[in-house]
Amino acid sequence: MSVNDVFLQLVTGLQLGAIYALIALGLTLIFGTLGVVNFAHGALYVIAIYAAVVIGGQIGFWAAVILVPLLLFVVGILMERGIIQYFYDRPHTDQILVTFGLALVIEEGAKAIFGANNIPYPIPDWGTGQMLFYGTGATIPGVPRFEEMPQVWMPFIEGMLFYPSWRIILIAVSFLAIGGLFALLQFTRFGLVVRAGMRDSEMLRFLGINITARFAIVFGLGALIAGIAGVFGGPITQVTPDVGMHLLVPSFLVVVIGGMGSLPGALLSAMLLGMALSFSAEYSAVQQIVIYLVAVVVLLVRPRGLMGKKGVLE
Amino acid sequence: MSATAENAAAAGAGQNQAFLSCRDMHAYYGESYIVQGMSFDVPEGGIMALLGRNGAGKTTTLRTIARAHEPTLKQGEIWLAGQPLHKMNANKAARAGVQLVPEDRRIIPGITVEENLIVAQVAPGTGWSIEEVYEHFPRLAERRRQDAVTLSGGEQQMLAVARAMAREVKLLLLDEPYEGLAPQIVQEIERIVEHVKSLGITTVMVEQNAIAALRLADTAVIVDMGEVAYQGDAQEVLDNKELREEYLAV
Repeated sequence: MSVNDVFLQLVTGLQLGAIYALIALGLTLIFGTLGVVNFAHGALYVIAIYAAVVIGGQIGFWAAVILVPLLLFVVGILMERGIIQYFYDRPHTDQILVTFGLALVIEEGAKAIFGANNIPYPIPDWGTGQMLFYGTGATIPGVPRFEEMPQVWMPFIEGMLFYPSWRIILIAVSFLAIGGLFALLQFTRFGLVVRAGMRDSEMLRFLGINITARFAIVFGLGALIAGIAGVFGGPITQVTPDVGMHLLVPSFLVVVIGGMGSLPGALLSAMLLGMALSFSAEYSAVQQIVIYLVAVVVLLVRPRGLMGKKGVLE
Repeated sequence: MSATAENAAAAGAGQNQAFLSCRDMHAYYGESYIVQGMSFDVPEGGIMALLGRNGAGKTTTLRTIARAHEPTLKQGEIWLAGQPLHKMNANKAARAGVQLVPEDRRIIPGITVEENLIVAQVAPGTGWSIEEVYEHFPRLAERRRQDAVTLSGGEQQMLAVARAMAREVKLLLLDEPYEGLAPQIVQEIERIVEHVKSLGITTVMVEQNAIAALRLADTAVIVDMGEVAYQGDAQEVLDNKELREEYLAV
């Protein structure tokens, strides 16, 4: 494998990891705070991609960037207040049943409205091209096709490499969203309460905090992140009603491998799975099972996951 | 009339004067019937020792008063300075002035000493400022940036009390504050509890070390099999060897 191949696989791994991270962060945030196994989280992604297609097509892409996450935030809060809150004290199996049922309703609803096939996602013009990576000594042809491309110098690359701009944008947006979420949780009083609530919600109630209301907001935040994932991930994952289910299983694996309720763990695990998928792409038979192999190995060595902590959701 | 019924009746007579008044409390953990019709009163500004053998229902009683999600209060009333605690959930009871310092301290892991105190000041109704807490507990000030669970047992107990005092407290519920602590630390905690009393804060204290608790307390309630077996002066229990041997094995 050449240096260029390794670089391309790394970027692809980052891009795969980024989208898993966006879905899994919402999942682990909800799981870590509310203890709810939310099988409808993939369906939130479905709502997001269709909303992005409709709003992006009718009003414009930037409107979708702003409105879809906000819409998902509201949908998340309505979902939590309307259904999920009644299942906090119920067994995980009940939670799985109700959220899985909800996912099916949303999936079938999307199918009834938009059909079962992939529908085109209107990517704005500035995101449709390729990004050019070039190494030392590379000669870039002086023609408009090359000159108009965003160009990045990478000293270790031999010659030139092209990579779809949209995928690079997805990586950048994902890391911005993840950074924003981490900043919110790490540097604000709301974040402190949420982190504390993930460890001991009853004690917070004894301190006068209405943790239930904050957890509803957390559910909304998890959905908002799925909204961001939908707006930027839609063109890559396709726009079909069942895409949420396809993303759900690897995203749950990300949560488990990272450690239940651990946000840094989910990020690390998403990148690990993204890289495993990317670097096993040449061996299609292995790629089908590689994420499960990673899960087995990690859980054998660290039963609580990469960054799972003792006492969290045990 | 049985001793329990007499005590309950006596407690009922003092309903109007009591700061905390528990009336015919019946509390369950699932199907398990733990608190079986307890009634007692606590006067304002005093320390009440809630005593009894292991499994008598002391911790369950404190958790019921603090309005924990579990146990479930299926019958009875709890009044704090005219406010119906029995109609509140835990966070509303806390805002009404109830502060529980739980048996296992429940210091929140993964955040610092100072963050444990900040969390206590998020909801309306705050008490000591963080700086005031540090004036009373200088050792916590030294460890303010440390992960709170890395504190020693005594320091964790101080933090648990300090966290409660960071809220506006009317009723302090202390569950086994001396458990697992060295005698020197116990003395320090005793001084803190006396200071809390000097501030006019009413305290209910559950403690296995009955003698230590009785020396500090003004009144005592002895719980046996989920019922009130005795209610009266703490000194009376200290003086009554028969009573202590029967219910406290000391």
